[in-house]
Amino acid sequence: MKRHPLLRRRFLAGAAGLLSSAVLLTGCGTGPAATPPAPAGDASGEITFWSSLAGMDKVAEKFNASQDKIKVTFETIPNGGNGGYAKLSTAITAGNGPDVSTIEYAQLPQFVSNGQVLPLDGFIDKANTVDKLNEQIRGLVQFDGKSYGLPYDAAPMVMWYRKDLLDRAGVGVPKTWTEFETAGRKLKAVAPKSYLASFYPNEPTLMAALAWQGGAKWFGTEGDSWKLGLRDEATKKVSDFWQRMIDQKIVKVEQAFSDEWSADLANGTLAGVLGANWSATGIQKRTEASGQKGKWIAAEAPNWGTPAGAFYGGSSFNVTKSSKNPAAAAKFIEFLATSPEAIAARGNTGSAYLAYPGLTKEAQKAFDAGYFGNDIYAVFDKAYATILPGWQWGPNWDVTNTALKDSFGALTTGGKIDAALDSSAEATLSGLTQNGLSVKE
Amino acid sequence: MARKTSTMSGTGGRTAALFLTPFFAVFALAIIAPVVYSLVLSFYAQQKSGLGFGEAKTSFVGLENYLQVFQSETFTGGLGRLALYCLIYIPSMVGGAVVFALLLDATAARARKLFQLLVFLPHAVPGVIAALIWAYLYTPGVSPLVQALQSGGIQLNFLDAHLVLPSVVNIAVWEWTGYNVIILFTALQAVPREILEAARVDGAGEIRTALSIKFPLILPALSVIMLFTIIGTLQLFTEPSIIAKATASVTSTWVPNLWAYDAAFNRHNLNQAAAASIVIALLAAGLSLAVTRLSSRMNKS
Repeated sequence: MKRHPLLRRRFLAGAAGLLSSAVLLTGCGTGPAATPPAPAGDASGEITFWSSLAGMDKVAEKFNASQDKIKVTFETIPNGGNGGYAKLSTAITAGNGPDVSTIEYAQLPQFVSNGQVLPLDGFIDKANTVDKLNEQIRGLVQFDGKSYGLPYDAAPMVMWYRKDLLDRAGVGVPKTWTEFETAGRKLKAVAPKSYLASFYPNEPTLMAALAWQGGAKWFGTEGDSWKLGLRDEATKKVSDFWQRMIDQKIVKVEQAFSDEWSADLANGTLAGVLGANWSATGIQKRTEASGQKGKWIAAEAPNWGTPAGAFYGGSSFNVTKSSKNPAAAAKFIEFLATSPEAIAARGNTGSAYLAYPGLTKEAQKAFDAGYFGNDIYAVFDKAYATILPGWQWGPNWDVTNTALKDSFGALTTGGKIDAALDSSAEATLSGLTQNGLSVKE
Repeated sequence: MARKTSTMSGTGGRTAALFLTPFFAVFALAIIAPVVYSLVLSFYAQQKSGLGFGEAKTSFVGLENYLQVFQSETFTGGLGRLALYCLIYIPSMVGGAVVFALLLDATAARARKLFQLLVFLPHAVPGVIAALIWAYLYTPGVSPLVQALQSGGIQLNFLDAHLVLPSVVNIAVWEWTGYNVIILFTALQAVPREILEAARVDGAGEIRTALSIKFPLILPALSVIMLFTIIGTLQLFTEPSIIAKATASVTSTWVPNLWAYDAAFNRHNLNQAAAASIVIALLAAGLSLAVTRLSSRMNKS
């Protein structure tokens, strides 16, 4: 009985929100696209923005110069692998986090689950942001019908090959994983010491992408419980395949981005890199000095018979719980994620592939893809078009991620991918249950 | 002011209080408060329910966090690994330090200042940098060390699951031997020269003097070193966390401190992390007590 007035107030507030967004809608519909978005009430003041993405300082500067109501202070933080999320999470809990954060899709659910990021509904112009997104990418920032961030990049998994080495072995670009295996064998016949790709113990998100592409669903919900799928049929198929690749030495187990990996790329030990659109700069940096210009090509990752893709990486922008000015923060996020100016301001920061329609061509302008032997963006487009729908990240990817990393560590001394998935599933189960969540397998 | 003269006359109490207050203020703020806070945290748990979206409830759970810490195979495994680490590290580091110090103190030693500097130099390198340098030296494909061994026909992967522990021990030995040599060397300098002369008159050679006279006389310094080393070992964190970037053999829960970090920042279970930290602190306190007891007994006899 007592709750009625409150409920009504909430309903009224909601209605008011709807009304104001309707006003916004019409405002945007009639005005020319280039004019700054309609003012959203009191969206002004000073906000802070944390990101580990290169060039974001320039984007913040551009935003500050473009208007005079909101002033953004930018701060570079380490990336997730180097403790960026630990820093962000503790700062938000302590109440001195930034207003705007950068969180990868895999980690977003845990920030949502910990109540550390705010839903953007009511702050953003939904029709011109979230609603315009591709369904697969939208699903990665929406929980329980609310949007907890705006997607920045949509990173399709792609495979990079040394075309010259494939030619020498007399194989074409593998279309399926079966062809991949054959190509690997032929490559080894010509150059016994080379590998067609690497398996990265330190990149469980790639294992997830491979499973995703194979039709697995590692996380899902069933009523009021989480459903884990680290040991589902599709994952088994994928892990058996990669185990076979490792056993035949077609694939080398090594840390991604390590000195060892860099050396293998530079000296031609590796004929391929399983990565994403963003791998381009990394490959170029590591192989440029050894005269591999024009030898690298991008290709859709091999599939299991029918074209299928997955995302490997990508970040979203979010308003944190510690923000004192969510309205201004949301305004800035809209600029970050949907404005061509923001992309242009960032300059050349690699071969970005962006979630918001029409932005990728802006990123493409800044990136010189001349190092590569084919039209890499055409490949990204194809890979992006085949992303399998229905993948969801779990409530605490960090648990699964570290468990996988730890158990993949044994791969070089006789460990198996199967066993690693097994122990990681157990670790995830106990980690989540200890936090009180309901989990099934 | 009149007060000034009264303190000048040295009544002790108030002056002492004046000087001690800043220390105790900072000590309470930076040491006692966090410990009390951790202690409180360790008895509570943040419990979510269902899918976990929404507010978590904080409830008193008694010793359950401690139970989870001890039941965790990775935590006890980490303790075991730490024990093994000590078993390799302490004899090699302390042994090395004693030998170096005795050599430096030997009357026949030449260019003593230069060697002192050379031995101490690694300690001047910050731990993080040392770990990075060694990570480079251990990585196959880039390390000149691995390459040299390979050309000599020795295939070693310092970073695989079998060798990574000795490899981490080696970093610590490299870092800390020099530091402890200086402490022991100072203790050796304090050995009364007349005793050494008496030994020489009695016909003891350099080695005999070192073993029968000098070594027993630096035992107190040695026990201090042991104490610091054991506490330092329990704090092992930097080196493995840096090496973990170069190899997957160092897991996220490799040693107890990493376990606590993992609990706090990967599993988002601050309460469990607090419990683990308290356990580590208690272990350090217990071991310190044991070492001081043991060494005081040894010194008496």
